[in-house]
Amino acid sequence: MTSSPLRTALRSIVPTRNPIEAPPKPLASPAVVAPLESVATLGRRTAPPEDLALPEARLASLALHDVSKVYPNGKRALADVDLIVPEGDFVFLVGPSGAGKSTLIKLLIRDELPTTGSVFVAGQDVSHLRRRHVPRLRRQIGIVFQDFKLLPRKTVRENVAFALEVTGTPRRMIRSRVDSALALVGLSAQARQLPTTLSGGEMQRTAIARAMVHDPRVIIADEPTGNLDPLISWEIIQLLLRINDLGTTVLMASHNAEVVTALRKRVVALEEGRIIRDEVGGYHREY
Amino acid sequence: MISFLAFSFKRALEGFWRNKVMSLAATVTMILMLILISGLVIVLTGLEAGLRFVEEKVEVQAFLNDGVSAEAVNGLVADVEALPEVASVSYTSKEAGLNAFREQLAAQGKEDLTAVTGVNPIPASLNVKVKDPGVYGDVVKTLEAPRGVVDEVLETQRTADAIVNLSGVLRTIGLVIVVMVGLTVLFIVINTIRMAVMARADEIEIMRLVGASDAFIRWPFIIEGLFVGLLGGAITLGLLSLAGDPIHQVTAQITGELPIGFNEQLTQQLLAAVLGLGVVVGGIGAWISVRTYLIR
Repeated sequence: MTSSPLRTALRSIVPTRNPIEAPPKPLASPAVVAPLESVATLGRRTAPPEDLALPEARLASLALHDVSKVYPNGKRALADVDLIVPEGDFVFLVGPSGAGKSTLIKLLIRDELPTTGSVFVAGQDVSHLRRRHVPRLRRQIGIVFQDFKLLPRKTVRENVAFALEVTGTPRRMIRSRVDSALALVGLSAQARQLPTTLSGGEMQRTAIARAMVHDPRVIIADEPTGNLDPLISWEIIQLLLRINDLGTTVLMASHNAEVVTALRKRVVALEEGRIIRDEVGGYHREY
Repeated sequence: MISFLAFSFKRALEGFWRNKVMSLAATVTMILMLILISGLVIVLTGLEAGLRFVEEKVEVQAFLNDGVSAEAVNGLVADVEALPEVASVSYTSKEAGLNAFREQLAAQGKEDLTAVTGVNPIPASLNVKVKDPGVYGDVVKTLEAPRGVVDEVLETQRTADAIVNLSGVLRTIGLVIVVMVGLTVLFIVINTIRMAVMARADEIEIMRLVGASDAFIRWPFIIEGLFVGLLGGAITLGLLSLAGDPIHQVTAQITGELPIGFNEQLTQQLLAAVLGLGVVVGGIGAWISVRTYLIR
């Protein structure tokens, strides 16, 4: 297989989503976001939601408004966080341990709910999403972790197919989707191996294939290179960049100063739960 | 829908086989619970049958004087039968009484001395069964009313009361024990299933992260729980049927002449109870265990 038919194959699955899922919502346009915002904040906030009038907000893939998160034990993990990530962007999220990176990611995938403020993912108000609609949201987000979270007794192919099986994808569609996801990450040859026989980089690529198999709008990666050596880390970054090139928004939390500095992408720095810096082409201070 | 069912069943079996130790633990706990409970049911059914038998034995016995005319006896029988609390009245002649006494001696292995006396020492008697062993009403008074007919009325009222009281207490104790053992065992089984689910917390987490709906996460585990229950129930029934004959013999020896049988009905009830309980406990146990991972 060469890469060009693959790309066209991938492109071709982009518009045709799984028919049993809800039809994809249009990209967050002002018409969609504005009513959501006004309903969500009705009578709760005095400040007008003018941040959404910013040009970037029209294509916002991820957006946080005045978000704070206080855990039940009293720990304040995030305070007054405002962040807009336009569709198709590649954003690094940096900061020392405990700065709130993981909390921010948990809010985006609705693993936690914000104490105050609103969180939008692909035009949906995540913080007011009904519980039964959470699975649908998660299918629009590909999530990648530092510890890969692969099932050790399933092969590479089965691990990727698992994400489709458990969301009720018809069997006949699974095969081709898994094939393209594996081809995308370059693991077609290793499809039948168990994760234990793979290198760290291959394991992470399997996890990325699993994240991509739903054809998500956003990839959220929490320290995806944290367990990998520098060379392999670069491979993973290159892969995420390619996925970004194909049109998927990527938000990547990272400690890897070298990578973040070298890439000259937008860098959002968190410290003690607040955004202390947000620079396009920004640089990453050594923590 | 079909693909959902196929998926759930496939995952349930996969889960059962891939976590053999936990599945085995859950199944064995289930079997032990079912054996314990069916044992209790058997014992209590025996107890209940025994109590009913003893209660039925409660009767008012009136010994008649020798040489009383048949009319007098018939008149007395009619009077007693007319009482609302009386179920039946039966007349036992001197000869029948003697025969019964001899049989009893023979059964106990004692020497029969009645042949030596030459005369029949056993009086004729009227045996009155009351409908409710606790309610005697005017039975004794009516029996003693005609002069010279009844020699003595056996005072069984106190005995009967004691037996009724005792059987009531025994029934209550039995019920309390069943409930207590049942609850204990239920929690143990649920806990074991919970451990089996916990062993796969990673899998559940991944399912949630990739956007599996609650039904897709929950049902494979519930089906697995049902399967554990069904398997446990089937094995328990197998063991019980193997143990059935020896148990029968032992109980027959203990209860002796008491007509405590393990009839068809009890077998069917036990079959339904064992399978039903296994499946219900397995299903509910899995439901509760998975719930913890779904609620957010």
